[in-house]
Amino acid sequence: MNSTLNDANPDSSTEPVLSVRNLQTVFRTDRELIRAVDGISFDISKGETLGIVGESGSGKSVTARSIMGLVDSPGEILPKSSIKFNGEELTEYTDAEYQQIRGSGIGMVFQDPLKSLNPVYTVGNQIKEALRINRGISGQEATDKAIELLEDVAIPDPARRLKEYPHEFSGGMRQRAVIAMMLACDPDLLICDEPTTALDVTIQAQIIELLQDLQEERDLAILFITHDMGVIAEISDRVNVMYAGEFVEKAPVTELFENPKHPYTEGLLDAIPGTNAEKERLNTIEGDVPTPNEQATYCRFAPRCPKAFEDCEQVHPVHVPISEDGEHSAACLLYPEDRSTEEAVEYHRERGREAEDVPEGDHA
Amino acid sequence: MNRFIYLLKRLLLGIPVLLFGLTVTFLVLYLGPIDPVLAILGRDANPAAARQLEIALGIRYSDGSMVPLWIQYKNFLVDMVTFNFGTSWGVARNQPVMDLIIGRLPATLWLGFWSVVIALGFGVPIGLYAGLNSNTWGDYFASFGGIVWRAMPNFWLAVMLAGVLSAGGILSGYRDFLIKTDVIGTPDELQYLFSGIDVFPGIPILEYLWIPIPNLMPMAAAFKWILPAALVLGSASMGNEVRIGRTAVLESLNSEYIDTAKAKGVSTRRIITKHVGRNAVIPLLPVIMGEFYLLIGGSVLVESVFSINGLGNLFLRAAFAADIPVLMSLTFIFIVIQILFNTTQDILYTYIDPRITLADNNE
Repeated sequence: MNSTLNDANPDSSTEPVLSVRNLQTVFRTDRELIRAVDGISFDISKGETLGIVGESGSGKSVTARSIMGLVDSPGEILPKSSIKFNGEELTEYTDAEYQQIRGSGIGMVFQDPLKSLNPVYTVGNQIKEALRINRGISGQEATDKAIELLEDVAIPDPARRLKEYPHEFSGGMRQRAVIAMMLACDPDLLICDEPTTALDVTIQAQIIELLQDLQEERDLAILFITHDMGVIAEISDRVNVMYAGEFVEKAPVTELFENPKHPYTEGLLDAIPGTNAEKERLNTIEGDVPTPNEQATYCRFAPRCPKAFEDCEQVHPVHVPISEDGEHSAACLLYPEDRSTEEAVEYHRERGREAEDVPEGDHA
Repeated sequence: MNRFIYLLKRLLLGIPVLLFGLTVTFLVLYLGPIDPVLAILGRDANPAAARQLEIALGIRYSDGSMVPLWIQYKNFLVDMVTFNFGTSWGVARNQPVMDLIIGRLPATLWLGFWSVVIALGFGVPIGLYAGLNSNTWGDYFASFGGIVWRAMPNFWLAVMLAGVLSAGGILSGYRDFLIKTDVIGTPDELQYLFSGIDVFPGIPILEYLWIPIPNLMPMAAAFKWILPAALVLGSASMGNEVRIGRTAVLESLNSEYIDTAKAKGVSTRRIITKHVGRNAVIPLLPVIMGEFYLLIGGSVLVESVFSINGLGNLFLRAAFAADIPVLMSLTFIFIVIQILFNTTQDILYTYIDPRITLADNNE
């Protein structure tokens, strides 16, 4: 069963910082159960950046919030899910225990820097709060440390900036300040939920560069969520492509861009402006991400897939290894490529059945 | 720009407001159907006395010609800003208006004070509770209560409450509860709320300085007496504070900066006291300060239903008696207080919300 790609990279001897297995986050409404995140698994190691890419509504942000323990009612994480952070099972944590992990363990940078700082407190106050709570630093020492942090994120004249309010900062500056605040917590893992989406392109590049430098300095593990393939190409080591609550393809970043396997990934890459310069119009993927409101017994991408065939509506695809080392996999009935379509479908059907019997995460 | 200059500027900006308010009041009263001579001397006044009065009132020169309206307007403005309020025509003939107002002030202050304290003391905490526990039964109960309080009109609630509490009403037992008091009329105890201790007895001028010592029994009695009226007067504000408080807390709780604060490990308690608290006060402030508007209008009504001899009652009776000096002086005082309240609110805002700048423009 070592072909299952959820397994940690056999080359890396170190324990992953974050290990997510079969994460299922659902939202109960009066009418239906929405499976925003439906059975995803991944690992992140020290110093590594994992990108999660997908369209709006594919469940990326819910994944991030699930890890942070910030899923509010009516959302809930189903009992079979496992989120292990430095070996600790977070899904069993109480609110108070989670408070200990947030900040000093896992930090998070949100999408809109204009909204993610409290408007009525100075930037310095908010950074120093992080320092005091997570590292017990206060007073003059905290001020010095905060100045240092603002310097680290390349904010000029940090001593003066510390006394200013968020509305006196520009958008890019605010995102830097948020990053500085999260670094003040000294986390092992930083979750970035579309941190560059609200910023213009030049600022985007600066923020990405900043994150890369900080990662190198601190050996941070980063989970980077975005819908922007260009940004993903810049920052990630490995990429998981998400669609309707599931991962449809996982691959190292260069491999993904050079050799995409899943029709959805192909569609996403085709839709990047500038890659198909000879074409007059940009390719798009017709339709929208469906709301996953029932168990996946079929391929959720099938209705929009140019390569879909009859069985796609009947059989739920499992991850099939593409590369030898198992780093690249795709969940599509077209694979394994060396088999005929019938054989491939049968392969998926069987593996699907096995997965139901064997609890997730227990692969040999 | 520092806060002191800002304050001065706000006060200066109050002057046009004051002028406008006084002008409108002047026009309403002087261009209206009120005939001062008729109001003072009655229908059967003898012409010589009437002429004499017109001269005394400043609407006719001693040579018999009429004083133009704009001169009357100018004289009126000067009288007002120099606090030369004149004497009453009708409510208490020939009594200085200043004395009249000072005499009625304690009852209104006592009533207004408790209506604000009760509204704030219950409305704000209940609203915050409802926001923090949104969509629970406690929230539904509090929110529904807030709407009910808001919806009950002052005039209806005042009559109902006065009815059930006075002799023969189903709650008339309230009057004998703990301390025997009435609920209708002005509490006599108002005169005995404080006893003074002279600081410098016998020393000229300084002998008027005294330290007020509250007298507990009269205070309790006066409180019990005024409580129903204060409840009515504060009812709408209380309802408003519940509703706005709830919304303000909810809005803040759902903001992204709360997620950020959680993400850096801030405890729930601190998130509520520090991050939600101050943001929730911003929309609450105008509601709290705006209580004053409601108090002026409400006190006219509540004081007349409960027969409390305060400024509201005085205002109403002056209006019926066409007592222009009293009406003018009270309006002037109300406008001045209103401007002071608004200025206070603006200054408080600069402390609570840093996004409100003291400067004229953001360069």
